[in-house]
Amino acid sequence: MPDETKDEEMICGLTADERDVLLWGLNELPETMPPRAVWNRIHDQAQAEGLIRTTVTQRPSTWFAGFGIAAAVVLSVIVVPRLMSTPDPITPYTEPPATAANNQPEVTALQALMVQSQQLESDLRALPEEPSVMRASTIATLSDIEDAIAAIDFQLNESGVQMTPDERELFWRERVRLMKSLVRLRYAQAQRTAF
Amino acid sequence: MSKFADIQIDPAIVRRAAHGDSRAHAIIYQAFKTPVYSLSLRFTRVPAHAEDIAQETFIEIMRSISKFRGEAALGSWIRRIAVSKALMFLRSAWTARSQSLADDWDEVTPGDAASHGISSHPDDAMDLDAALANLPTVGRTIVWLHDVEGFTHKEIGKMMGRTESFSKSQLSRAYQRLRPMLSPNRDDVATENAALRSI
Repeated sequence: MPDETKDEEMICGLTADERDVLLWGLNELPETMPPRAVWNRIHDQAQAEGLIRTTVTQRPSTWFAGFGIAAAVVLSVIVVPRLMSTPDPITPYTEPPATAANNQPEVTALQALMVQSQQLESDLRALPEEPSVMRASTIATLSDIEDAIAAIDFQLNESGVQMTPDERELFWRERVRLMKSLVRLRYAQAQRTAF
Repeated sequence: MSKFADIQIDPAIVRRAAHGDSRAHAIIYQAFKTPVYSLSLRFTRVPAHAEDIAQETFIEIMRSISKFRGEAALGSWIRRIAVSKALMFLRSAWTARSQSLADDWDEVTPGDAASHGISSHPDDAMDLDAALANLPTVGRTIVWLHDVEGFTHKEIGKMMGRTESFSKSQLSRAYQRLRPMLSPNRDDVATENAALRSI
């Protein structure tokens, strides 16, 4: 690989410094988001070709949103202290006693994710405001993460679609992962601004 | 450096997408829409064309994701599809104009990049953006594939239906156009770069 790099430099006529500047500059170039209509076109074509299936709800999912909020509030008092003392708050549940309700373990894992997500939201709010001047690549990355979270939120709150607890847990897990990325980036940004 | 490599998707979402779950596909689209569209726009410079390429890319992802085995990163796999679709588009455009892949240097005069308001220091990404935009399509595409997406000359030559030497010579010509603005002088952004890389 070093030989190849040297070969390229000789052929392409750039010094190592010039090439570094070029690579850095390329990395800094702003990214562009496609118009919203692009997804609609993709979705329409995919449906027409039978590439995707949309699950239709049998009943409104609002019950779950209300239940989730209530569960998150309860858990923030009862479960969070326990989660904070364990290395991985998304640790799979242990088998419940025979007398426990059948859906109890699923609810617990899901609720843990909800609480963790809520905690990350709180961490994010605690960070200083975004600086007025930001690098283009940072803006693009922040925007991408926020878009992805918004998309997940949309799916979680969509009233026309039924989700199983497993599906819901999957989406909440992804939301937590994205929130962690967002907090990490915003924290690094805040650190840099502070100095 | 490629933005595709930085994006991670939960394997369970990929499995759901493989079964045609529209919500899983929506998540994949949200995660990759910007790098796919940016790459397409970088190659074609025409938003309508970039939209078409993005659409074809994500439809191909939907068609093929059941064959994705996870041996490579999902981002690399999607990048391959996007590049393939973009090059296919460019080839068709070139064919329509009865041009070969090699002769579009004549479309741009040698002084264009340097005379396009480019400062001596690329502290403003717009300078490089403008310089790239003024490169011929082939040169710009090869710079991007090689320096941003990390493809080798051999891979680029193969993807373009040309030789490794073709890729090298096109890159060399592109570098010569860009060289006037490549004076080493940049800010220290290591902390933020590290944070971006870690995501």
